[in-house]
Amino acid sequence: MSGATEISAQRAESSPASPPAGATAAPAATSPARTEEVAVAGRALIELHRVTKTYRLGDEIVHALDDVSVAIRRSEFVAICGPSGSGKSTLANIIGGLDTPDEGAVVIGGTDLSRVRDKPLSAYRNHHVGFVFQSFNLQPHDTALENVMTPLVFARVTRKERRARARACLEAVGLGDRLRHKPAQLSGGQRQRVAIARALAHRPSIIIADEPTGNLDSARGAEIIKLLVRLNEKQGITLLVITHDEGIASQADRIVEIHDGRLTERPS
Amino acid sequence: MRFIDELSTSLRNIRRQKLRSSLTILAVVIGATSVTIMLALVTSAKSFFYNQYKTTGQLEQVIVTRETDLDYRQAQYAGGGNDLGTKLTDDLAQRINTIPHVTGVAKTAQPYVFDHLVSGSTTLAIKSARADDTNGVIVHSMLAGRDFTSRDRAGVLLVSRSYADKLGYDGRYDRLVGHPVVLVTQPFFTGEGAQLQPPVMDRRRPSPNEQTPTQLQATILGVVDDDDQALYFTLQWATGLLTSRHYEMSGPPGTQPQPSLISQSDLDQRGYSTLVVRADRASDVNGVAKAIRGLGVGAATAQSYVKKQLQTFDILSYVLGGIGGIALAVAALGVINTMVMAILERTREIGIMRACGATRAGVRRLFTLEASFLGFWGGVFGVGVGFGLTRIANVLVNAQLTHNSLKARDIIGLPMWLALTVIGATTVIGMLAGLYPAHRAARLDPVEALRYE
Repeated sequence: MSGATEISAQRAESSPASPPAGATAAPAATSPARTEEVAVAGRALIELHRVTKTYRLGDEIVHALDDVSVAIRRSEFVAICGPSGSGKSTLANIIGGLDTPDEGAVVIGGTDLSRVRDKPLSAYRNHHVGFVFQSFNLQPHDTALENVMTPLVFARVTRKERRARARACLEAVGLGDRLRHKPAQLSGGQRQRVAIARALAHRPSIIIADEPTGNLDSARGAEIIKLLVRLNEKQGITLLVITHDEGIASQADRIVEIHDGRLTERPS
Repeated sequence: MRFIDELSTSLRNIRRQKLRSSLTILAVVIGATSVTIMLALVTSAKSFFYNQYKTTGQLEQVIVTRETDLDYRQAQYAGGGNDLGTKLTDDLAQRINTIPHVTGVAKTAQPYVFDHLVSGSTTLAIKSARADDTNGVIVHSMLAGRDFTSRDRAGVLLVSRSYADKLGYDGRYDRLVGHPVVLVTQPFFTGEGAQLQPPVMDRRRPSPNEQTPTQLQATILGVVDDDDQALYFTLQWATGLLTSRHYEMSGPPGTQPQPSLISQSDLDQRGYSTLVVRADRASDVNGVAKAIRGLGVGAATAQSYVKKQLQTFDILSYVLGGIGGIALAVAALGVINTMVMAILERTREIGIMRACGATRAGVRRLFTLEASFLGFWGGVFGVGVGFGLTRIANVLVNAQLTHNSLKARDIIGLPMWLALTVIGATTVIGMLAGLYPAHRAARLDPVEALRYE
């Protein structure tokens, strides 16, 4: 996991270091010193250069992302909108390091992650990205505390420290009294808050929320968005929210729309 | 992920699926138990066989024979009753005694002078009689009574277990100790103890050639653990028994011939059956045997024989271990099946782990470790069950031994190395069985895994 601590220019609280092992430096930032310099100078935290991603569905080739370029600054709240199947999730997965592009470059903090091997990519996810899913994706057999500790286990954090950090995160999302509850014992809103606590546990610089309110009623959904916005504002975490909800999108600093794999921007 | 976390996560995952994990472990237990039992039996038999030679000092012995091409077992039964090669004499024994690392030489003979034995109302033929020096080189494995000592001469004997059984003392060998028997000789016997008739000129009386069988009183000192129907005598007594005596009429010319007793030792004439040589240590045996062969006689060692036999036990252990291994192979398929099912069920969980930063290698390690644990626990419980079964078998065998007046001893043992080897083997088998499912888990696309329903 050592590699990921090194994309540290993006992390809200971290100090700069060299790119992860196996990663190639982006043209604009070829050294750790340069990375820091660019980041300090206000360069975009996330840069996608002419990213293409295609899938094969039977005989048909689907262009999930077609020559997409976008730059997202640190601490920015960006809403990604578009109809179903337009490529929103593919974009989020590529930014989050769950997927890699067929062509183009994904530059995070000056480091191109589009061609890196599994280990540095996993380390990037582990240290810099927090995911919040529509269906929560909590481990049903684990307690809220254990769920929140999951990324810390992979970050080799000691048992004592990860318990403390997980507890603090759950308290931050208002679930300090639900530590021992399993997902089945929690309401939908509480489950999503556990998922947010899990996304926060490893102090990421980016949170990617894919339809975070999709399975919640409007009141619970509003609470979740309020929580995410607060994290964005107070902790400077870059927030990418995939949503169909115009109400949520309107709260973002920027809205990017995807149609048939092509990206356009519209004012929020 | 730290190793301690990988261990605890794997164990927790096994505990989560209690029934399925238990059944998979049970399959490994059956395999491990069968391997354990089979190897324990062979190992115990091997150890028992080896100890038989070790405790009687045979590993330090060289058997010297006239024939130069006999192996150890053949040499043990060599009669020396031919004129081939070099005669085994006292002089030869003394020369051998001067060879470096030789600590003693015992002479043996086969006093084939007896026809049958009478014990109370029982009469038994005597098919095998052996006589050994009582100088401590030859040690008999006693079931009851005592072995010969240097003070024992004529009138005492040992009987084999098989002979004691025939005498009706099966399982009551202690009662045979001190028991008097009558040894009836062949009709031609003229050795020590035979009542010889002086020759007479009267043609109507029987000639010495028509000597009647002699009855010799003897006391049984003990029972030897031997399957052969053999009687054992001291060499001192055998020397007398194997002395041919007869009267010859002789006297100065012109005088009336007088009968004079002529004695001729068979052992002097034909030599000893074998010489049993004891070396300092087992490691000196081969050197001693080589030196003895230089004297023109055969020299067989128990070491080479025991080595061959131990190799046979090893082959047997491979065969039996292989048979037990089939059960383990089936168990390995069970582990594969369990792990493949686990991965299907936990696809989404794998996706979550990957989203949270788990590497492919980390996922692979986690599932391989889980499969290894299935094998490990199967091995531990299998060895435990195997140990229990060997204990039960020992109780039954000991009961039978005690019933037969034999010393109870735990014949079937489960050595620590065997237990650890079985546990290690099942763990490795579990690990190998887990490699393919773990590889599949590691190759899962995290995006697809997160969408899996």
